Amino acid sequence: MTRYRALRRTALAALAASLALTACSTTSGGSSGGGRDITVAGTYSIESLDPASPSGGGATGTQLTSKALFSRLVRPKADGTLEGDLATEWTPDTTATQWTFKLRTGVKFSDGSEVTADDVVASFQRFIDLKSTNAANFTGYTMTASSPAEVVLKATKPDAAIPYKLAVFFVMPKRVQGEDKEFFQHPVGSGPFKLEKFDSAGTVVFTPNSGYYAGAPKVTKVTIKKMPELAARLTALKTGEADLIWGIPDDQLPQLQSDANLTVQTVPSTAVFTMWFNSSIPALKDAAVRRALWQAVDFATIIKTLYPQTGTLSDAPVSPVTLGYSPQEAQKYDPAAAKAALQAAGFDFSKKLRLQFANAEFRQFNQAVVSDLAKIGVQVDLLEKEQAVFTKDLLAMNWDVNFQQLSNPTFDGANTLGRLYTCAAKRNGYCNPELDKLLAAAGASPDKNERVRLYGEASKIIWSDAVGMFPMAVKFAYAWNKNLTGVVPDPNGLPDFSTIGVSGS
Amino acid sequence: MTATLEKSPAKAGPTARKRPGRRWTRWIPYAILALYALTGGIGPLLIDYNPVYTSLPDRLLAPGSPVSSGATAWLGTDGTGRDVLAQVVYGARTSVLIGLATVVVSCVVGVAIGTLAGYFRGWPDMILARGIDILLAFPAILLTIVIAGAFERSVLVVVVALSATAWISFARVTRGVALSIRERAWVDAARVLGVRPLAILWRHVVPFTAGPVVALATLEFALVVLAEAGLSFLGIGLPNSAVSWGQTIANGKQYLATAWWISAIPGVALSLLIITIGILGDQLTARYGRGHVR
Repeated sequence: MTRYRALRRTALAALAASLALTACSTTSGGSSGGGRDITVAGTYSIESLDPASPSGGGATGTQLTSKALFSRLVRPKADGTLEGDLATEWTPDTTATQWTFKLRTGVKFSDGSEVTADDVVASFQRFIDLKSTNAANFTGYTMTASSPAEVVLKATKPDAAIPYKLAVFFVMPKRVQGEDKEFFQHPVGSGPFKLEKFDSAGTVVFTPNSGYYAGAPKVTKVTIKKMPELAARLTALKTGEADLIWGIPDDQLPQLQSDANLTVQTVPSTAVFTMWFNSSIPALKDAAVRRALWQAVDFATIIKTLYPQTGTLSDAPVSPVTLGYSPQEAQKYDPAAAKAALQAAGFDFSKKLRLQFANAEFRQFNQAVVSDLAKIGVQVDLLEKEQAVFTKDLLAMNWDVNFQQLSNPTFDGANTLGRLYTCAAKRNGYCNPELDKLLAAAGASPDKNERVRLYGEASKIIWSDAVGMFPMAVKFAYAWNKNLTGVVPDPNGLPDFSTIGVSGS
Repeated sequence: MTATLEKSPAKAGPTARKRPGRRWTRWIPYAILALYALTGGIGPLLIDYNPVYTSLPDRLLAPGSPVSSGATAWLGTDGTGRDVLAQVVYGARTSVLIGLATVVVSCVVGVAIGTLAGYFRGWPDMILARGIDILLAFPAILLTIVIAGAFERSVLVVVVALSATAWISFARVTRGVALSIRERAWVDAARVLGVRPLAILWRHVVPFTAGPVVALATLEFALVVLAEAGLSFLGIGLPNSAVSWGQTIANGKQYLATAWWISAIPGVALSLLIITIGILGDQLTARYGRGHVR
């Protein structure tokens, strides 16, 4: 009988769950406690606080906390231009192989000690030694202190993108060596915040660093609560449990916009929906086939219906806020021509293509793409993979079409075009020596306009050879409680909490 | 020991069994189940549906709205403009098929292991019964998730993952039945006559497990349908090309405030099926069960 009772209980639970699946996480409100405390619903999991960690340093969650705890030499602003953080000035030599950074004086770590050139050099060495994914941008580069207030970064080849690439390099005291787990329990940095609490369940609590060189943040406490579930984040924002959330899909925006207590804003991001074709497999080797597949999908309608507010039809492989953006001629939707082109190229319609993606939020988009391809007879297996499996398969080229929301925290084309489309990169099976030459020249030129022009030419090859489909430039939507002031939506989904204040308290 | 051998096993037990009142209400579960079977069996022949095709201009339409093709979406459409009614109908077929397949597999495995252990006792029983105890110590759903998560999504993997734990209850119940039946006079008689052990098992023991096993099978069926929906909800169940209530419910999760029908309608269909089978299972247990179902 107990089994029956258990069953009945399960059945009732199923009924209750199906009827009221709305997030049940209604704990006591976060912002009601302290006057100027704010709570942020964390979109990303935060597993490590060490931005140089070989395992998790490149993770978005870690980048978010690092921005609060540590300073960088230079950092990108929301519009993609650079501003000095620890550095006040940065100048290349004539070939852009050697960059000199003048350091801000009088900057102190949160434990009171001064930030010196030695700290910067030691941090850089540690960053390189630990070989995180971000460190791959600087292989073989060396940094030396030319004076207590100046460091010199030497590249192995001309590299004009160095200041942009340094967006992922954070400075910490020189005593930190190797993977110092102890230090990151109680990290000391020169960023706007100090760490109060970090637990593996995903809650991070920051308090202002009163000695921050640009003035202590106005809030008294920032709590990042892990809420991977979208419904939970939305409910938390409405009930006041959270004050700021971001990464909101279009379908949910109207209900937030109609709420008088909330401010909703979108910001053009560096992210572009990128759907590479695996050019190394026989079926997709021919550029005509790849172009035809792109032509067969009605991206304009898909974007208009699924992303009316946060999506725009992309016209380049990189987003408009990225250095190296150069608009290309739009691919016209024409299923009949696409089918004819595929038949002319001898495409095998009986073979299924494998389209892989991760993250449920992109499911509808990919389903719509698969549906459009099915309409001209191209069969696609849609494979939704768990993030870790996806990444492994992505690098192993275990896919035919790969969907990714590709963002670029450095705002420089070198990090996407220059890194991913060379023959040596082996990321999408495409290899074109002419493209390699252009990308190398663009990466080496110290002249910004020349770089934009070269990346433009490279984009043209990537675009017309359809190395992938580049359907959509993404905007990120942020929503916050009306009583917050100074919120600046960040194009990389990494908001800066130091500018935020709370009014009316 | 001159007792006559009784031929019909049905008369073997004490005749104290009470017949539940012959009210018409007890036919309700059967009627509802028949409706589900009919929907799952005939519905797909009447409604044309392919989960691959989306119709974005028709997305998130309320129940009863006309769609662009001129038809009516009686139960609304989901986030990619696919008909919810069709998903409920095709989902019914999926649920019933997976439920049946899993129950049959676990029933065969469980009855075989249970009767062997109960009849032969000694060391086979020792090994099998302890093995069952060890498996029982695992939370069933955890084991299922581990198996389903380790392989690529397919119908076969789901059936195997669900059967991996579902057979245990069958084994336990039939072992209990076999333990008591093997002491009965007709089994002794067969043994004395020199009937081979496996033949005794098949002819004189297994038929007596039918009652409790049928009662248990209905309960297991309900749990399996629920577990399959759970796996699909978590995204480790059936592949995207299959239609499952769990997937439909998961797809509607983010629209609970704006388009309740996506999750609610398959949710109600699922709940009604589970409750009905629960009631039916209860009726059957009252008639055939031996009171020691687990």
